[in-house]
Amino acid sequence: MKPHQLRFIGDREVVELIRERRQGITQKNRVPRALVIVKKASQKWEKVEEDLESLETFRERDYVEALGVDDSGCQGDSADGLAAAGRAVFTFQTIKKADKMAKLASELARTPGKSVKFCAAARRLATDQAGKRGPSIQSKTPTKGKRQYMSTTPYRLRKRLTVTINELGAPSHVELYFEAHSSSKVLTSDRTLQKLQTPMLDQETLMRLLSDDSSSFAGELRQLEEEHEKLFHKWMLQTQLGFSLILYGLGSKRELLEEFRSRMLEGTIHVVVNGFFPSITLKSILNSVTEEVLGYEGSFRNPVDQLNFIIRAFEEDSTLDLYLLIHNIDGQMLRGGRNQQILSQLSTIPGIHLIASIDHLNAPLMWDQTRSCLFNWLWYEVTTFKPYTEETSYENSLLVRQSGALALSSLTHVLRSLTPNARGIFKLLAQFQLENKDNPSYPGLSFQDFYQRCRDAFLVNSNLTLRAQLTEFRDHKLIRNKKGADGVEYLIIPVDAATLSDFLETEDRAT
Amino acid sequence: MATCSVSKGCFVFKPKDSRKRKRPVTADLFIKGKADSENDRLRFSTYESLWQQMKAETERLQENLNEKIFDSLLSFIKKSHIQLHSKQNDWSYRMRCCEIPTAAVVLGVNVPDHEMTFQSLSDLLKQSLTPHVVCLQGKECTTVKQVLQKVLTNVMGGTVNDKEEDEEDIHHSVHFSQRKMHCSMASLSGWYNATAQKSTSDSPSKKTKTPSLGQEQSPPIVIIFKDLESFLPKVLQDFITISSNYIQQLPLVLVFGIATSPITIHRMLPHAVSSLLCIELFQSLSSTEHLTSVIDKLVLTTKFPFKLNGKVLQVLISIFLYHDFSVRNFVKGFQLSLLEHFYSQPLSCLCSTPDEANARVQNLTHDDCELIRQVPSFMGYVEKQDSEKQIELLTNDQYLKDDVQKLLLDLHIYHKNYFPVLKCLHVTTSSLPKYPLGKQIRELYITCLERNIWETEEYSSAFQLLGMMAKDELVCLLQKCRDMLKSSKQPKALIGALQELEEFLTRFQKLDDIVPVVEVKEDEGHKRSPSKSLQGKTDLYQLQKTLMERKTSRRSKKLSRFEVLRMEVLEFLDKLVRQYLSPPETQPLHEVVYFSAAGTIRRHLNAAPRTALQTALSNPYYYLQNEVLRSEGGTITNTAPDICIVYKLHLECGRLINLYDWLQAFVTVVNAAEGKDPDKMRNGQVDEVLHARFIRAVSELEFLGFVKPTKQKTDHVARLTWGGF
Repeated sequence: MKPHQLRFIGDREVVELIRERRQGITQKNRVPRALVIVKKASQKWEKVEEDLESLETFRERDYVEALGVDDSGCQGDSADGLAAAGRAVFTFQTIKKADKMAKLASELARTPGKSVKFCAAARRLATDQAGKRGPSIQSKTPTKGKRQYMSTTPYRLRKRLTVTINELGAPSHVELYFEAHSSSKVLTSDRTLQKLQTPMLDQETLMRLLSDDSSSFAGELRQLEEEHEKLFHKWMLQTQLGFSLILYGLGSKRELLEEFRSRMLEGTIHVVVNGFFPSITLKSILNSVTEEVLGYEGSFRNPVDQLNFIIRAFEEDSTLDLYLLIHNIDGQMLRGGRNQQILSQLSTIPGIHLIASIDHLNAPLMWDQTRSCLFNWLWYEVTTFKPYTEETSYENSLLVRQSGALALSSLTHVLRSLTPNARGIFKLLAQFQLENKDNPSYPGLSFQDFYQRCRDAFLVNSNLTLRAQLTEFRDHKLIRNKKGADGVEYLIIPVDAATLSDFLETEDRAT
Repeated sequence: MATCSVSKGCFVFKPKDSRKRKRPVTADLFIKGKADSENDRLRFSTYESLWQQMKAETERLQENLNEKIFDSLLSFIKKSHIQLHSKQNDWSYRMRCCEIPTAAVVLGVNVPDHEMTFQSLSDLLKQSLTPHVVCLQGKECTTVKQVLQKVLTNVMGGTVNDKEEDEEDIHHSVHFSQRKMHCSMASLSGWYNATAQKSTSDSPSKKTKTPSLGQEQSPPIVIIFKDLESFLPKVLQDFITISSNYIQQLPLVLVFGIATSPITIHRMLPHAVSSLLCIELFQSLSSTEHLTSVIDKLVLTTKFPFKLNGKVLQVLISIFLYHDFSVRNFVKGFQLSLLEHFYSQPLSCLCSTPDEANARVQNLTHDDCELIRQVPSFMGYVEKQDSEKQIELLTNDQYLKDDVQKLLLDLHIYHKNYFPVLKCLHVTTSSLPKYPLGKQIRELYITCLERNIWETEEYSSAFQLLGMMAKDELVCLLQKCRDMLKSSKQPKALIGALQELEEFLTRFQKLDDIVPVVEVKEDEGHKRSPSKSLQGKTDLYQLQKTLMERKTSRRSKKLSRFEVLRMEVLEFLDKLVRQYLSPPETQPLHEVVYFSAAGTIRRHLNAAPRTALQTALSNPYYYLQNEVLRSEGGTITNTAPDICIVYKLHLECGRLINLYDWLQAFVTVVNAAEGKDPDKMRNGQVDEVLHARFIRAVSELEFLGFVKPTKQKTDHVARLTWGGF
């Protein structure tokens, strides 16, 4: 870092500087020059960061060495050589330019079959901004980014401050972090998926399209798989000796565990739990143990009681031997502390052997010292690169169009069990909502209004009956209440318009 | 039966003939998939017996270490309610009587170990003092009602079991705990008084059985709060306030398990509540001391033939020091190493006591002999022999067996000498300033395991420091050394060393008797001469010269007898170290007893799942060894799996990612890789398959937790990680 120079600046120079700045901000044609300044600044940043990084990695080496990572003499240590140090994984976000991704893509595309150095590409692109810009995106965003940089004095002051801090040896990451989060403005283009001609695919087409897409690395994948299958015997042994196994790594581990199950667990009692299943509950897991494995037909007040019952049952009968396979123990529904607590206590029973997999990158945070000690984990890295087909199929991905089939069938099912009057009430609301479907600021139907309409249609005779009816709808999640700005209660059906019209059609056909 | 369904997530598989649900014999698992079974069976049984011994040893150790604190706890609990019977009308008694006697046990941050401590404490209490012991955990008690419920079911339910032991089966207590009962302190005290009366009425019969119980008129009710920090303060406060009202009828004693510091009590409880407690503080042994004794009993001993090499020990100790301070986890790591050793090293069947090993060597098959010949350290040993013996060793099985027997015995003797000498060295160096060879014996041991200790800088600096020691210090150290050597069952080789040491000590003793006279004389002679020579010399040059002379003269000065002796002692120590502390790699057949796969152990115990995930994403070549994927650091080829490309692209974005742009970038890359026109989707036209692949990759990233949907802007996702590589 260069020491700062102090020099006298004449009034005229200052005035010139200010004028130039003004022009830079107001006139677009000044942009290139300003960008160069920005670039210099950012280069400086990079340098500082590099220095610090090397220092940090050095320190980290110490620690890693202490943990014995670089023991190259030991068997099977090939995996250690490359295992990236934590510093690379857990960094702060740096300032990103909005069109970086497009550039990267074009860079990747331009050199087919060859690897591209990312950082170098980015840097080069930054320098020759005159020429090959991404075709359309460049229009708006760069200027935005730049304005943020040159903003005004506070930023400069801040930068100077951080520079001095850096000289003292304190990390600049904090500053970088706040830099990245300073403006709430989002520097991305405003285009949406509506521009696509095929904006949404539904789940079925997605499956169909992907079914005939085979990976180009079948041989390597098979090799990985065989590598993992060699471990099966060891897994059996270690689970028998009281360890629990946890599998991690990129790729679906479901097939591997299924293979393990079919090959090794033949003839043993075992329970398979799909942790990724969106409505799995701890209760259902415990129930399947007590009801189906232990054959006990009673109910329990709470999971702790049930757990105690299981513990006693296993104590009584020492020949009981149960394998518990949990795909994604970090699943949405099992993540909670209480659930993990019960599961960990379950795994301490000598007759229960647990094998589980995790995928979420923060999954290990579920367990504190006590819990992970109860689990008695042995970690196994099984990277399979298999697609998470089953695991993500439940997820309502934002790119997949909701076909609405489920919502529709639930609507009809519930309504079928209601009185004709109730059905009429609901239809009234649905029709009104459909009439207003083009109105984006449609708040819903107000209660008073609704009551009036229902009375007119001879559906209810008092305020109270309508309220009772609405409670019924609400319990089945058919409608939702919303308080308007004026404090009036509004009612809406939380279903999209297409489904609603489908519903009305089927209703009409039925009557 | 398939294990995927849209309606349930739990699938139970039960073999059809559920009668035959025998445990698979674990030993079979050891064997399966491998050829010779006899060897494997032997190895497994050796593992089992060794592990059982080690486990018993650690448990015994734990008991011994806890003995002191438990004793004081017991006596505290015993005397806490003695006044209840003695002097009812005493004023001080009345003052105290509304205070609940409380023992605050500071246990340290190694929470996983506490479980065992409390288990043995409650067992001990139940055996010797009172049947009414309740253990509470913070996570289970979120309301006062739950606390009371737990206390009541444990205290009252426990005795129900006691009384009708065999007639009623365990289901009874299930119903008991499930029955909605009115849980209050009042009902507890009512019950307690009833049982107390009953027990006094039929005490004659009881007295004959357990006299210790009979003497105590009313056994106290001990409530153990295992982890005080994780209790809700409100719950704790309420519970204490309630129970303080019943303290006159109920002999309650509370035990707080504290992981941090005693201040937490006052942080959790306001003065009004904490004044209801009569707290006595107990400090348990620190876990590092515990570890030291575990290492002493498991590692630094010849009792168990199995040994860890330096790296493995380093890994285990680092996990202990950097992560959890948990002795239990250390022992677990030790167990895993033991298992791995016996599982992966076919020659480990020879890893047993010398007598057993001798018999086993004779039973080795020809294949086993071949295995021995391939062991690197043995090959080195063979090369050193003369050619005749070499041929014999490589061709004659019987000859080999005899030689192996001898070598194994040598290895055993090597260890027998190793540990006493190591302890001696530790004793002498552990009190040096700045601890050049480490404060703890484990540090010294690791250094000794890894290299020739006498070649290290630390060693020479330690000896320099020793060379400056005063006499009484040195004598003290030597005495300690002597005691050390005496106490250990000394092997033959060390008897000589011990005698030599004794001799040194007596010589030091003699030094005391004779030396004073001589030394005084010498001193006087010295003092006089310089003072004389300095007189009358004012010339600077002359002064410098004389000073130089004096310096050289002092250097060449005849050493005092003490110094000579000190030198001899140091030489003696150095000789011992060089002779006995050579690293195990120098011993032939060390592979049989030393476990060296430190990497495996570290990966199993201290894994880095996120690193693995991100390595796979950013550098797929690491896992898929396909030349197409080979690339330099920080880069990726455009033929990589979809998810890797999508991940790489998303790294270039800020907090929010525009899905459309992302898709566009993805399509560009993939099209280029497939040799299609790299120009992107014109007029928003995208190949359906590509679109589907993109969707899959993005939803996989979402599943892994890298992005999540957001409503901040339409068709955007939010990034959840910073940086990345």
